[in-house]
Amino acid sequence: MSDIAISTPQAQMTRTHSAVGSLRIVQTACILVIALVIVSPLFMLLIASLKDDRFQILADMGSFRAFWVSDPTFANFAEVGNFSGELAFGRYLLNSLIILALTVGSGLIVNSMAGFVLAWGSVRGRALILSLVIALYVIPQESIIMPLVIMVSRAGMTDTFAVQIVPWIASPLYIFLFYQFFAQLPKELVEAAQIDGASIFRIYRSIFLPLSLPALATVSILMGIESWNQYLWPILVTQTDYARPIAVAIATFFGQDSIYWDRAMAASVLMMLPILALYLAFQRWFVSSFVGSAVKG
Amino acid sequence: MMGKRLLSMLMASVALAATGVSAEAKTVLHVMHQGDPGWVSTYGEVAKRFEAANPDVDVELIYAPHDAYNEKFSAAVMSKQLPDVMELDAPFLANYVWSGYLQPIKPLVDQDVLDDMTASNIAQGTYPIDKDLYAIGLTDSSVVLYGNRKYLEAIGARIPKAVDDAWTQEEFEGYLEKLAKVDGVKWPIDTFRGYGIKTEWITYAYGPILQSAGCDLIDRTTWKSTGALDSNACVKALTMMQTWVKNGWVVPQSSGTNQFFAEGHPAALALGGHWFYAEAAASMKDDIVVMPLPKFGPKGASPNGTWIWGITTASEHPDIAGKFVSFMLKDKLYRDYATADSGYPGLKSFAAASPLYDTGGPLAVAFEQASKTAVARPPHPAYPVITSAFMQAVDEIFNGGDAKSALSAAAAKIDEDIEENDGYPPFDEQQ
Repeated sequence: MSDIAISTPQAQMTRTHSAVGSLRIVQTACILVIALVIVSPLFMLLIASLKDDRFQILADMGSFRAFWVSDPTFANFAEVGNFSGELAFGRYLLNSLIILALTVGSGLIVNSMAGFVLAWGSVRGRALILSLVIALYVIPQESIIMPLVIMVSRAGMTDTFAVQIVPWIASPLYIFLFYQFFAQLPKELVEAAQIDGASIFRIYRSIFLPLSLPALATVSILMGIESWNQYLWPILVTQTDYARPIAVAIATFFGQDSIYWDRAMAASVLMMLPILALYLAFQRWFVSSFVGSAVKG
Repeated sequence: MMGKRLLSMLMASVALAATGVSAEAKTVLHVMHQGDPGWVSTYGEVAKRFEAANPDVDVELIYAPHDAYNEKFSAAVMSKQLPDVMELDAPFLANYVWSGYLQPIKPLVDQDVLDDMTASNIAQGTYPIDKDLYAIGLTDSSVVLYGNRKYLEAIGARIPKAVDDAWTQEEFEGYLEKLAKVDGVKWPIDTFRGYGIKTEWITYAYGPILQSAGCDLIDRTTWKSTGALDSNACVKALTMMQTWVKNGWVVPQSSGTNQFFAEGHPAALALGGHWFYAEAAASMKDDIVVMPLPKFGPKGASPNGTWIWGITTASEHPDIAGKFVSFMLKDKLYRDYATADSGYPGLKSFAAASPLYDTGGPLAVAFEQASKTAVARPPHPAYPVITSAFMQAVDEIFNGGDAKSALSAAAAKIDEDIEENDGYPPFDEQQ
């Protein structure tokens, strides 16, 4: 008998299966580690929101006790859920939702219309306008914020909902995103509709909009996140709690001398929920839009 | 039926018009402030009580988060919407007065309140050019040295009970070295690097170490930083602090601000503000000791200054603004809240009613510092640049940079700003 081992097809298959199995274990482990890194701060946030002693939360930070609550309570949520009084966090949440809904709703209409006209309308100097749109995109918001403050205050718009919505409806990024999406749709669609006598608005509303769900979802989510996370702008243009959004209100918990971690965490959980719901609702189209963009290069 | 409806509509319109007239007749007082939820709520209640006592005045509170207060203030200046009354961080007072935003408050605030101010409170609200008072507060602030009783007993450390008994530099550094070897001590001291360089902490808390060592951020007669901030005394003081960091004695910035009272009590000492007592005592109970800041030279030095109240030059009703400030500072419930929040007294009558700071109280030594060692941060219009340059230099030094070159660069930056503003006249004529 020879000592040389003979590699049979069966043995080769077993080895391949074993290699694939090992690879999957490594992949799963990597995914678990990444998931843990992403999820653990959120989990810590949730756990801390269920503790009612801010000093204890601070003392627990940096140890595994930050991920455990022995005596959970919803007291923090009850405290930040007020709709009236000096710290009406329920109201601030509602304010943010109103600002989000109106900004995203108006933004979808205005930006998609602009994108459609640039893609298929008979606009003179289209290339120049497109270049301007792209050029405007690279200007950071912070650089125009002070002139904008002066403009809105002279227009008597401070401390209103409108001042937090109107300046951010039209956006070069979203106009360009819609333009790109619409420009990729076949020309025949426009020609066929024109033969049938459809107006440009009809073509936009009845043909292009229904086909652009992924773009609408992407813009909704990006615009929604942008509106939801606005912090500096509302600080500068709101005076009272009439139209104050929750992002500004949460900053109240971070005082000069002390931080109210308990209520800050509960308010942060509440602030996170609507945007999470928005993402989950549009996730399918959002992902397909990104995958589509990647494939199309 | 229709007639009745018309009549009721007419009556309602008349009633609405009447309400409108009475609302228009009211004086609206705009009050800008910052603060945590407790303070926001307290200011709201004070405003309501003031309105009840003065039915012809409406107080409109304008809130800005602490971290974004300067941006909000800049926006108010640019859009010409300065409030009547504003809360301001004391070291920025000179800049605001020099820029013409604040007016003297002595003619506007009740005399009994002015007479009640501590020397440190007067210092934080006084503009050095005309020596006039531009702001006032119920509270002030200080930094003390907190210690873990068990660790200090383990090394046989002397526990100073009064400002005059403060540790010397040799004692302090000797104790740091000993504490580093004690079981359970991960870091001998927390200097609260965790507050970062975006807050006032570094200038506020570390500045007095330089002043105690015999130098300053800027020469307060010539208003030049070169020769002061980069002097040998300052370089030596910052090099000493750098050595603490290099030795691993100081809680790193990434470890947050809770290591003194976190589980296992990894930090033995804490160079912390008076407000830190509430957080630490809640967890450590009797194991906490409060000591004066060590002396790093022949004399001790401690910081002061907090958020105080000023009346702007834009106010159309400065008399009512002064009345509001006086009302607030005397308001019992406002004072009760400040006491519960461990407020450091800026008014003598408030000190007498604050058990924490009264003789024998746990923070009595902190209050003693106000009259013996408190040094206000440089009262100069260039303060925003002074603090920013100094904080960056300290950050660089703590991260291993050369103390001399970092401080020289900071001093040059400060002097450059002063030169660019033509010496901020009349500060340039003070010499």
